[in-house]
Amino acid sequence: MNTMTILVADDDPVIRKLFEKRLKNAGYEVTVAVDGIEAAKLLDATTFDVVITDLVMPGEIGGIELLKIAKEKSVDIEVIVITAHSSVNTAVDAMKKGAVDYLEKPVNFDELFLRLEKIAEVKALLKNAGDLREAMDVTESSAAQTIQDLEIVNSNQQELLDQLEAILSDSRNDEYSRIEQALHLLESR
Amino acid sequence: MLKITSEEIKLITKYIYDISGIYLDESKKYLLETRLNAIAEEQGCTSYQDFYKKVKADASKTIERKIVDAISTNETLFFRDTGPFQLLQHKIFPELIDARSTKTPSLKTNLKIWSAASSTGQELYSVAIVLQELLGDLSKYAIKLLGTDISDAAVAQASSGKFNKFEIERGLARDKLTKYFTPFGQTWKINDQIRAMVNFRKFNLMLPFAGLGKFDVVLCRNVAIYFTLEDRKKLFNKIADVLEPDGYLIIGSTESLTGICPRFIPKRHLRSIFYQLK
Repeated sequence: MNTMTILVADDDPVIRKLFEKRLKNAGYEVTVAVDGIEAAKLLDATTFDVVITDLVMPGEIGGIELLKIAKEKSVDIEVIVITAHSSVNTAVDAMKKGAVDYLEKPVNFDELFLRLEKIAEVKALLKNAGDLREAMDVTESSAAQTIQDLEIVNSNQQELLDQLEAILSDSRNDEYSRIEQALHLLESR
Repeated sequence: MLKITSEEIKLITKYIYDISGIYLDESKKYLLETRLNAIAEEQGCTSYQDFYKKVKADASKTIERKIVDAISTNETLFFRDTGPFQLLQHKIFPELIDARSTKTPSLKTNLKIWSAASSTGQELYSVAIVLQELLGDLSKYAIKLLGTDISDAAVAQASSGKFNKFEIERGLARDKLTKYFTPFGQTWKINDQIRAMVNFRKFNLMLPFAGLGKFDVVLCRNVAIYFTLEDRKKLFNKIADVLEPDGYLIIGSTESLTGICPRFIPKRHLRSIFYQLK
């Protein structure tokens, strides 16, 4: 079961349609955008697990800019860039800027599905790690409160014992008055 | 995976204790196997007996360093539990700055802070960020932030000031991320200004603390839990020796000094505890 939400940004209507169909058939929730500007608007309004974007799109927002927008929105959003064979260098540059992967045109969908499964796996592991961390935090803070309370109680008791010791061993007073003072100290607590 | 016998467990745990002070008992068989297997296989060892011999014969101590890196737990994050950092920001630093401020404007206010088990640096960088936010202009202060750890790998990462997205995501608020970090390829790099405030180096807490000087604040969180009771006593005694008379000690939120070091008294501020010398 593929539950990831995917945003596809590509200005070529044929490719866009193909992505939509293949990804939907594979069980992913797909949204398509006609260019970077529409994709940016969608990212502003909602969030996605994965963004697949063409590197070269008309308008002010190309693939690299969209990558930046997605990562600024959340580092959790994974971005795959689609590139023409001739511009692999740009794709490598995109990966340096935080893209998780790149695919060359024409897109091999089997390859894309493998990459998406890997992304889903990592996301699942991260969620699990996050859950464990959360469970640990709850246990830790509850234990911390108990331990800190005990630490203070114990420290106060120790202080009391030290004072009692001082009173009881004070040779300037007779035994009766030492005991009286000790009892007075205990009662006053 | 290479299997470890109970005889070998004794041998290896004793060895790990000797080089790091980390105490593992026989119940930690799984931990030993999972953390040491790669190093043992890399050395072409057929048993842990064999592994032990190779390690002891390695004069360069390369394998020893790898073992320490593998066995030490580098679980840390930026602002790991918020309590201590609020404590620093709202109580400890204001009090210290009051106490240390000089009447002469040309003299700088000195502050020395030690993160005794700094791991990959998140704790100390968090402290640096707190100071930066609290003090703004740092030119009037001479601040020394020292981070030490037993693991070379952890010290190297801390020194690099680079963190991957998983490390960054945990604990660090968005505003602090954009303010104090710059994207650096797939990682984030701490800004030079914060980086310049801190120093990291390798140090084994089992050794004498001679030459460290005195500190106004010592953070020793979640490291003593790996030591024996006897070693914990020695550790906190040594910390008491290097703490200024009015200095502050912060330990892990689930740790306690009861029965460990009577030289310290616990004090509570809001939901956190810190320790001062009696």
